[in-house]
Amino acid sequence: MKRTLGSKFELCKSMARTALLCMLPLCVLPVRASAAELHVPAIVEAGHGFSIPVADSGQASFYLVGPDHVVKRTVNLASSLQIQPSDVRAAGHYQVILCDSSSPCTSATFEVKAAAPAHLSFFLHPSRVPVSTPGSIDATAFVFDQYFNLVLTPAAVDFRITPASGAGFSRQASARDGVAWMHMDSTPHEGRVQVTAALGGVEEARVIQQVAAEACGLRMKAVASGNSVTLETDPVRDCSGNALPDGTVVSFTKIDKAGKSTVDTPIKKGIARVQLSVQGPAQVSVACGVVLGNEVALNGKL
Amino acid sequence: MKWVLVWFLAAATAVLLAVAWLQSGGLKQHAMFSAGTPEEAVQALMSQIQARNYEQAFASLDPSSGTDLASFTREMAGTDSSLRTYSSLQTADVSPLRADGDQAVVRLRMNWSSALGSLDDVRDVRVRRDGSVWRVVWPKPAFPTVPPQVVSVNYLSWDVIGRNSSQNWGAQDVDSPKVRITSMNAISRPGRVVILGEVENEDTVPAYLNVNATLLKADGSALEEEGSFDLISHVLLPKQVSPYRIDFPGERIDAVKSVRMDARALLVPASADPVIAVSNQAVSKDGLDRNVLKGQLVNQSGRPVNIAQVLAAYYDDSGKVIWVSDGYVDQALMPQVPVPFAVDIPDDIAARLKNYRVIVNHYSRSGS
Amino acid sequence: MKSVADMTLALRKMSPELVKLAWVKAASFVLAACVLAIAQSSPQLPEVHLDAAGLAPRPIEELTGSTIARHYALAWRDLAGALESSQGGALGEEFVGFARDHLLQRVGEQLQTGVHVRIVDHGHHLKAVFYSSDGAAMQLLDQAQLEIQTFDGNKLLDTQSAPHEYMVLMTPGADRWYVRDLEEVSGKSF
Repeated sequence: MKRTLGSKFELCKSMARTALLCMLPLCVLPVRASAAELHVPAIVEAGHGFSIPVADSGQASFYLVGPDHVVKRTVNLASSLQIQPSDVRAAGHYQVILCDSSSPCTSATFEVKAAAPAHLSFFLHPSRVPVSTPGSIDATAFVFDQYFNLVLTPAAVDFRITPASGAGFSRQASARDGVAWMHMDSTPHEGRVQVTAALGGVEEARVIQQVAAEACGLRMKAVASGNSVTLETDPVRDCSGNALPDGTVVSFTKIDKAGKSTVDTPIKKGIARVQLSVQGPAQVSVACGVVLGNEVALNGKL
Repeated sequence: MKWVLVWFLAAATAVLLAVAWLQSGGLKQHAMFSAGTPEEAVQALMSQIQARNYEQAFASLDPSSGTDLASFTREMAGTDSSLRTYSSLQTADVSPLRADGDQAVVRLRMNWSSALGSLDDVRDVRVRRDGSVWRVVWPKPAFPTVPPQVVSVNYLSWDVIGRNSSQNWGAQDVDSPKVRITSMNAISRPGRVVILGEVENEDTVPAYLNVNATLLKADGSALEEEGSFDLISHVLLPKQVSPYRIDFPGERIDAVKSVRMDARALLVPASADPVIAVSNQAVSKDGLDRNVLKGQLVNQSGRPVNIAQVLAAYYDDSGKVIWVSDGYVDQALMPQVPVPFAVDIPDDIAARLKNYRVIVNHYSRSGS
Repeated sequence: MKSVADMTLALRKMSPELVKLAWVKAASFVLAACVLAIAQSSPQLPEVHLDAAGLAPRPIEELTGSTIARHYALAWRDLAGALESSQGGALGEEFVGFARDHLLQRVGEQLQTGVHVRIVDHGHHLKAVFYSSDGAAMQLLDQAQLEIQTFDGNKLLDTQSAPHEYMVLMTPGADRWYVRDLEEVSGKSF
């Protein structure tokens, strides 16, 4: 009995010794598991390289995973890891991972923010706008850096307006999350209007055309000639006095005993003219778009 | 044995000759030159025209016909790249009007089919008995001549230079033309729902336009979507107004809760020439007693307009658009030459209409 | 105890119904397996919730909102597929401009290095913050719940499971809205 107990005790001792020996590497390993801890800056400006100090030895596989870029290379852990400016051009979150064969990989993340403003994507709408129309011109500017990352830091964008006639003026709008916008009324005079968006040394210009609004006070006169009549409008203008552009369609309608006749004719050199045959008394009218002009009664004495 | 062979060969030859005769229209020709009734004569003539055998058709005409082969061929086959030149005679309905001994008048309705739809040509035709055979008397068509002249073309035209596709987002571009649907009316017609109205080009540049409509159910989901196809004047100059009509076959108006309209305009090169006058418009009845809007088109430019389409909008006494109809003219519009047109009006619309407006779409092969 | 013969006899009597039932069960099982397989073979769209309350300067139309949510979900599905397969063609048609250029470059470099990324998408909460007056551009903030696993070949390098925030620019096309810019940001309030 004593001999049995003693041999069992010896057996337990040897098993415990073996277990301890097996556990020893596990206790030691964690010290070596975070083989190369990665200390990266929290925020980096786009296009600015930096180095990651690594206090270790040997070689490892290094990965850099970014929004538009993936790098994999074998690195020597004796020297710091270099991140090139070209590796961090796109704004966003980046991940660096270091893996060696003997331990799990370690990783760290950092954020790349946009660099200084270098481009403006400038939208000016519409490209043609009627004069004297409130809130009709919209300007929107998106602020990008040289790598076309959206610059999210607040900035003041100047919109400089230069009309064809009259004094220029400017408006300022704050760019929030990379976007600045403003409304403005169209000026009373037709012609070319240039709007320039400016931020620091960055400028972008756009041109819109202010055109005459709807016809106003549309009038025509009738000039008889034999069995026909020539209908001619006065210079077709809008309510601000701007001439409607050539090519705008004016509709003439004549009603006589032969029936109804219509001609859609474009304005040429500011006026619209048409010749129609007439049989007896007739009523003629003129319209431009949805605007009606005067009516003329022809009493048949031609 | 050899006699069997000879008889066999003779019979085979006779059969083959008969087949050839039939193939070459011998039966029709025989019918044409031996027409026993006025209707048969006209039908036989139409058969030759349908087969484009203009010489044989002309040969069958009564000698008192005033036309010549060239004029007859030109009238039937079309000219100047008109719509007739792209058409073929589909059917010809003949109905007697009156007969008097050796003379008769029949009403002929020719239906021509083209890529743009079918076109009707209704006319009263005189037929004369020559011996035992009836022959058609075909009058010479009056082809108007255009006097030689110089017509200056100084209407505006527009060209478009768009943005380069390689340019960055935000680069300067030209906007699409601004168009506005000025009216919309949903009506019920037999077997369909129809959306009608007018659309204006509010911009200062020409627009290529399509109008689409989506019928919506009570729960807001789409029932059906259709476009205006050719029931609209697609190219609108600045401030020009076009009617439109969108048909929804098989739909019922009580299933429709609302309509979503979508007018899409593209900036396109265009010319303000030609100007086409629409004169002497009047609502009347045609030879088949149908309500039609008739008139004449006059091309005021110096170049032929090969194909013209007439679009008519009809209004009730409140100025609401109650119908839109269209028709193609199968003759080319030569400069300064009036060409008649007629578009159908449904009977119930004709009873209600108080006013109408006609615009003309055109296509010219030589480019605008 | 019943004999085998009795059992067999009983089975034979019962078998037509049993066989029928067995066939029905087997067929149902096969059908369900097929449906599951088909469902799993076509990637599901991630859930996208759009909040457009207070959008300025232009209010959003209902149809536009649902279109944007749908195409944003399609974009993320395609993005996940492209990053997992390292195939630029899987990117589909939802991305244009800068976003497309960046993603194509990323996918190309993934292919060269052997790295690929698996995204398990648990949904997006989109807040629309700017809609231009002419309707030509919309800016949105996306709070996405994503699990991102980075692999080198078959070796898992890293796993991240955290909310991600993105600044999104979308622009309209003929029949859809495109993602023009997609930048991951941090510290944005929703």
